[in-house]
Amino acid sequence: MIAEKTLVEELQSKETQSRAFEVLVDTYKQRLYWHIRRIVLNHDDADDVLQNTFIKVYKNIGGFKGDSKLFSWMYRIATNEALSFLKSKSKKLGISDGELQDNMINNLQADVYFEGDDIQLNLQKAIATLPEKQKLVFNMKYFEELKYEKMSEILGTSVGALKASYHLAVKKIEEYLKDD
Amino acid sequence: MNKDNQNNDFKTPEGYFESFTERLMGRLSDNPSAHNDLIPKKDGFEVPEGYFEGVNQKILEKLNYSETKVVQLKPFKKYYMAAAAVAAIVTLAFIFNWSASKELSFDNIADSDLENYFENTDLGFSTYELAELIPVDELEYSDMLEGHLDQENVLDYLNDNIDDFEALNLENNE
Repeated sequence: MIAEKTLVEELQSKETQSRAFEVLVDTYKQRLYWHIRRIVLNHDDADDVLQNTFIKVYKNIGGFKGDSKLFSWMYRIATNEALSFLKSKSKKLGISDGELQDNMINNLQADVYFEGDDIQLNLQKAIATLPEKQKLVFNMKYFEELKYEKMSEILGTSVGALKASYHLAVKKIEEYLKDD
Repeated sequence: MNKDNQNNDFKTPEGYFESFTERLMGRLSDNPSAHNDLIPKKDGFEVPEGYFEGVNQKILEKLNYSETKVVQLKPFKKYYMAAAAVAAIVTLAFIFNWSASKELSFDNIADSDLENYFENTDLGFSTYELAELIPVDELEYSDMLEGHLDQENVLDYLNDNIDDFEALNLENNE
């Protein structure tokens, strides 16, 4: 894999930009896709948001200062894109965020790209009951296995607060699954 | 191992003790999924076959499309916009100069603004969760009260509302 610093330099130079962008997409598309998919749940929406994320990255790479890691910066863009996608979707449908979450879970049952059984469906229902931040933290830690330090860079939250959020999220999910 | 086992008839599967440490360490490791049997390890999401192979092309097409230049039909609109922008900058500069005398600091923020912020912002924690996270021994009752209570007012209140005021025996505790 190409070194991150070199990749950023190539992305910022007009001559090497398009080749470097292809490398960037190849390197990060899967990780960003799964991160987005766990927020928006549906494949078509995740595909849309993933494309928009890379377009935003391409257009803003000139202003990337390297204060944070390229990976964290892209993750942050993907998170913001996914969350604002859901916000505008609920606005367009004239329903609350909670109602949208319910719709998303109900649609999951008929989704051809959701192969989960009752246990996995219940897990998604449990995750849907969490506040936004806890939802993100749980998915990033449990499924994406990101380190707290990385998550702190992405979400701009202290490691202590992230640990507290994860602890609360796991407790709530376990309680939900036990009661079900 | 045979020495410890010589007086009983129980047996263990072959290699049980050899792999025990490894399995135990696996459960104690930082891997969050390792010590949770209730939450499934897989989330059940799938992608269409060949999706990741084709997504690069889709992104490049969308990028080229969004970079296509739009031909402007009424270029004179640009001048109106430029004039409006200059007017806005002048107005803003005037307003900022007018109010820039006070430097922004935490102490300058009105309490009502702070209260509104906490009321209207989704912090991701409920009141109960915050209570769990904030150590109680660092809090005083006075942190929760809006105004200071005079001892005299407290005594008046108790006098009016308690049936047997004398039974409180306040004198001795003063």
